[in-house]
Amino acid sequence: MNPFFFGTRQRRLFGVYSPARASASGSGTRAVLLCAPWGQEYLRAHRAIKQLATLLNQSGVHVLRFDWFGTGDSAGEMLDASLAGWQGDIETAIDELKDTTDAARVGLVGLRLGGTLAASVAARRRKDVDSLVLWDPVVSGEAYVKELLADAPARKAEHGGGHEVMGFALGEAMSAELRGLVLPHAELPARTLVVRSVPGEAVGAVPAEQVEGQPAWLEDHHSGAGAVPVKVLQRIAQWWS
Amino acid sequence: MVNEQVLLMGPRKALVGIVTPAADGAAASPDRPAVVVLNSGIIHRVGANRMTVQLCRQLSQQGVDAVRFDLSGIGDSEPRDDGLGLLEASLTDIKEALDTLESARGFKRFVLVGLCSGADHAVVYAGRDARVTGLVLLDPSIPHTPRYYLNHYARRATRLSSWMNIARGKHPLWQALGQRMGGGAHGAEPAEVDPRADLDTPQAKAFLTQAYAAAQASGNRFLVVLTAEREDQHNYREQLLDAFPDVSFGDRLQLEYWEDTDHTFTPEASRERVIGRIAQWVPAGAD
Repeated sequence: MNPFFFGTRQRRLFGVYSPARASASGSGTRAVLLCAPWGQEYLRAHRAIKQLATLLNQSGVHVLRFDWFGTGDSAGEMLDASLAGWQGDIETAIDELKDTTDAARVGLVGLRLGGTLAASVAARRRKDVDSLVLWDPVVSGEAYVKELLADAPARKAEHGGGHEVMGFALGEAMSAELRGLVLPHAELPARTLVVRSVPGEAVGAVPAEQVEGQPAWLEDHHSGAGAVPVKVLQRIAQWWS
Repeated sequence: MVNEQVLLMGPRKALVGIVTPAADGAAASPDRPAVVVLNSGIIHRVGANRMTVQLCRQLSQQGVDAVRFDLSGIGDSEPRDDGLGLLEASLTDIKEALDTLESARGFKRFVLVGLCSGADHAVVYAGRDARVTGLVLLDPSIPHTPRYYLNHYARRATRLSSWMNIARGKHPLWQALGQRMGGGAHGAEPAEVDPRADLDTPQAKAFLTQAYAAAQASGNRFLVVLTAEREDQHNYREQLLDAFPDVSFGDRLQLEYWEDTDHTFTPEASRERVIGRIAQWVPAGAD
């Protein structure tokens, strides 16, 4: 496992690269980029995402996971972040992963908002992205923002405005971006899996697989962290093996 | 822009840390402690609401080197392979992290910062290592005291819901009575459970008293902040002093009790306040 910073000097991203521990079945190098959710969901899901990386490594897959700009250990503050910037972060991470592994194409796994952003990048980087897993994806940005802002106090204008969403600043510009976010269900890679640990609909023509397990992105037992839904992780890892 | 660096610590390089160097670029000196922030529970090193990252970056702006890292088995750090129990493993992790920071970065003195379990780890470790000279303890475990119970029941007595529960037979008193009568909790909800009751055992009190005494005896300064949300743990400022009457904190203790503040400093204003307090306190005692 190799934790490191990558990206540009102005936009340093924290990532953890973990190489495959076994030979992949089939031909070619397999490499997957994991895209995290946002806010409290990011903190809670960290354990599950790390565990998913381990399972994928055991299945012969190289993995890179990273923190969005303005979140986690990456540089920047939330008020400097934007969805367009985060989509760019995925592209930077794809290039980093391809460069590190020599993989011709990579797969993306995205949880919640990370899934939605991964799908949008997959649609415009078809030459580089051959497969996609949407794990409890945010399907409607409008509904997601409504949920986020339901009990969120407003931030003072002199501090940049926007709202405080359970400890995380969400600026007006980013809220607007989120409201306009739509999962591009007509442009998904031919090889796409939709996994749900909470009830949800199909995404375009891809039926949702309901897998038993607690959502990784919800708090488990007042710990501040989420559960590690083993069956969900196993299903995703198995899909790649 | 702060140039943070990954540092793998411990003999196996299994502990993942992030160093936030002092922004002034000054080299480490024996007189200037580095601040090391410990995990809270099982949340990884960025901390609740990314608080630890913000703290490290603010300290850096004030010329203080700061480090956040994951204990073994938490966040990105690998589990240990030596079979140590949970507490000993955490204390050994801290020692190994400080050893690496000393050998690789030249730090000789450290301030440990911890929230909740991190505070407990910090104070228990401090008495074992003379390199630790300061402790920032946010909501550490403190045994209950007689005054705690007086406050607790006085506050309950003024709550309408408590009287409604008595009238409805749902109050814990009724349930305790019912259980003593052998009837269980017929038709009632489970009795209230005190999750920290074991802290009040003589063994736990003796252990914590010894830990605070050792940390005090080795010359540490203390900044202790208690938040009102953890009413189950503490409910007045002086509870720390009353719980450990044999520990002579003297003027090396800055003790604060914050009303209207939650355990993880979720609102930005709370977070800015606690980060500001720590950033103010650390350099003040560095000389």
